[in-house]
Amino acid sequence: MEYSLFFWSVMGWMVIWGAIGGSLIRHAYFMRDLDVTDARRVGVAVGAATGPFGLIPLYLKTPKLTRVWKIAPWLGVLGLFLLTFALSDPGNVCVSSGSFLTSQIANGLIMGTIYGLMALGLALIFSIIGIVSFSHGEFYMIGGMVVYYVTAVLLPGWNPLLAVMMACALTFCVGALFERAFLTPIYDGRVERPIEYSILVTFGLAFFLQYLVQGLGGANPVKADAFIELPRWRFPEDGSIIATSRANITLFDTIFVSTPRLMAAVVSILALLALIWFLFRTWWGKALRAVAQDRQAAAVTGIDPRIMNMLAFGLGCMLAGLAGAVLVQAFSWLPQTGAIPALRSFVIIVLGGLGSLPGAFIGGIMMGMIEAAGAGCIPDPTRAAAYLPAYGMVVLTLVLLLKPTGLFGRKA
Amino acid sequence: MKTRFLTTSAVLAMTTALAAPALAADCPIKIGGLAPLSAPGSVTGGEAMRAAMRIAVDEINEAGGVLGCPVELVVVDTEGLPERGRAVMERLITQDNVVAVGGGYHSSVGLASKGIANDAGIPVVFAETWNDNITADQQRFIFRLAPLSSEVAAIYANFAVSAPGVEKVVIIAENTDYGLPASDMTRQGLEEAGISTTIYTVDIGTQDFSGIIQRIRADRPDMIIQVLTGEAAYNFTQQAAEAGIGPGDLIMTCDQNALESAAFWQNVPDGNLCFMNRIGLPVAAYTERTTAFEAAYVAATGKDAAESYAMEAYDSIMVIAQAINEAGSTDGDAIVDALEAISYDGVLGTITFPINSSNTPEQAGVEAKWWHQFPDPAITVVQYQVTGQSSVDAPVVYPQVYQTGEPIWANQ
Repeated sequence: MEYSLFFWSVMGWMVIWGAIGGSLIRHAYFMRDLDVTDARRVGVAVGAATGPFGLIPLYLKTPKLTRVWKIAPWLGVLGLFLLTFALSDPGNVCVSSGSFLTSQIANGLIMGTIYGLMALGLALIFSIIGIVSFSHGEFYMIGGMVVYYVTAVLLPGWNPLLAVMMACALTFCVGALFERAFLTPIYDGRVERPIEYSILVTFGLAFFLQYLVQGLGGANPVKADAFIELPRWRFPEDGSIIATSRANITLFDTIFVSTPRLMAAVVSILALLALIWFLFRTWWGKALRAVAQDRQAAAVTGIDPRIMNMLAFGLGCMLAGLAGAVLVQAFSWLPQTGAIPALRSFVIIVLGGLGSLPGAFIGGIMMGMIEAAGAGCIPDPTRAAAYLPAYGMVVLTLVLLLKPTGLFGRKA
Repeated sequence: MKTRFLTTSAVLAMTTALAAPALAADCPIKIGGLAPLSAPGSVTGGEAMRAAMRIAVDEINEAGGVLGCPVELVVVDTEGLPERGRAVMERLITQDNVVAVGGGYHSSVGLASKGIANDAGIPVVFAETWNDNITADQQRFIFRLAPLSSEVAAIYANFAVSAPGVEKVVIIAENTDYGLPASDMTRQGLEEAGISTTIYTVDIGTQDFSGIIQRIRADRPDMIIQVLTGEAAYNFTQQAAEAGIGPGDLIMTCDQNALESAAFWQNVPDGNLCFMNRIGLPVAAYTERTTAFEAAYVAATGKDAAESYAMEAYDSIMVIAQAINEAGSTDGDAIVDALEAISYDGVLGTITFPINSSNTPEQAGVEAKWWHQFPDPAITVVQYQVTGQSSVDAPVVYPQVYQTGEPIWANQ
């Protein structure tokens, strides 16, 4: 970084004024007997974005904290951070190359969509059953393994989308059966410590599935062929708008996207739309949402929460399986492949707010963007990608400091 | 009476003490084998090493065993993780009672576990751990067959200098005890030759390289050198190819697990023109021993050739067996004395450890890293020149003395 002193000075300024703003504004609203629910967060944001110039008027006027007040100062914080970064490191490729930046954003969005889909499954399980499944990564792994074995070993030449559907069906069935066999003791008080029991039993399932796959198929890496291989094509002739090769699409000579990833993102978006349709347009989906909102009220209306538990766990596992099924064409696959994505999903659902479905998906997109920004823009190349898992954790820590329920979480 | 009792006790104690080595030689004689058999270790390499070590033990037993006893191989999974390496080394020594240990793939595992073996007086002949510090601290019980990281780095640097049009090199390295020093030493060599070099580091077992690949692409390097292990290397190579900076677009050296032709082509279908280093005699210079081992290995694994690490793992067990026979004992000190004096005709060539306690580095006027180091593992660079090619058929392109074909430069 060329002007690191300037960068860190501004960051220090933002942190100090953010801290002052947080306590000052909450104090002002409290003393005037106003609603203090969002006062601290707004104070932090206004302080960090504007320093004393915004804090003093806010302290004196104490306006009603509308949605604009809750969002605009945070956009100001983000803008100030980006501006400071650009001025501090003008030679950084994120600052100097628009095409690189656009590519990174596209890449972050694509990966974020898939992260979001996987995290959505975990959030669905948590919102209905109230447990965190530690076997989520293994369902992701199984989804990929099913697609590989179907398309490359058992039925080569078959349409890979059929294999994806088989992966979804298998992961749904395994999840639903597991829920019936092992999670029902949680609901009727047959175990003394239901939370600990759910952790242990899902951990057990994770190990069982991982070593079952390793025992059956070995531990060597496998990879499915790309679902679609594009022909070489240019439009116009110089390819300045779109150029395709077997495994890559280039848009406007600027955005480079790998075809397997794009395909994975497209399938994920379609699956997401189908899930939204299911949750909002079908009786089963509405019943699931009703159970998530109020379990007892839903039972009074004739919805059987036990069936919904099974459906939720099966669907959650299926979403993880689907994410794996579409990514096995992009990555080499091993029985241990699910560990990192599962960890990332835990971070995402806490970031988005435990139990919040929109929060899980938006958290996934955020995670994709954060990782792309970190890998692309951190000035030191020996650290940019090496610290990849840490970027999400840093953002998660900051969010939890300001909003312990996560971005879209509700208080219990 | 009392005197007689004391004399008898003393004789018994002396007999027990003298018999200790003999008791340790109770049949079967156990030899430990270190191999990464789970991710994030290099599973492909680990499986190959395990197969090779089993062949070695079968051959030893068919020839009558060691000291008249059959040999039992105890293979443990290091997972490529230092903490796991320490744990399994402890287990081999304290629970399995091995008399010596062979194998070993990851440098970080070797560095973490070698002290335990040295303190316990158990000789270790490391097969594939490159970090110079494995031998540089001159521990009595530690030996190595693999080349020194600094020697391989020098080969890579010289190879890059010999390539046409290379002015800018990117090194992508894992942040481990193998990757970090190896990449630093390679950079030193390149920069001494006036070639600008940037190092990017990633976690071991990284799956998604998209962010860092876009960044490397923006750097516009003439050559990429991989200092990765395992599946991460497959993922990087294929993802780089999909982004238009693969081995078909610019000069790229791949990890040596690319020598596993079947796994490589399945995971990296766009990997043609990859350069790989190969340790051990070039195919044209194979001895009878090398040819015999390769035939046994091919029959046992169904592969089309033996990889470097398989040869090293085989020799590590064979050299231990010969040392035990020559020592006439399973006592650690006796085995070390035999290893220091050994001359074993292995598949890698004639193995000796000329820098040892009777010819220390100071006396020989060489650096400490040559302590207990096999000095002559041939290091060559081979290149895939046809998609789907077997690594046996891939020509040796560097150094000139072993050259069997001209390199194809992707940038020309």
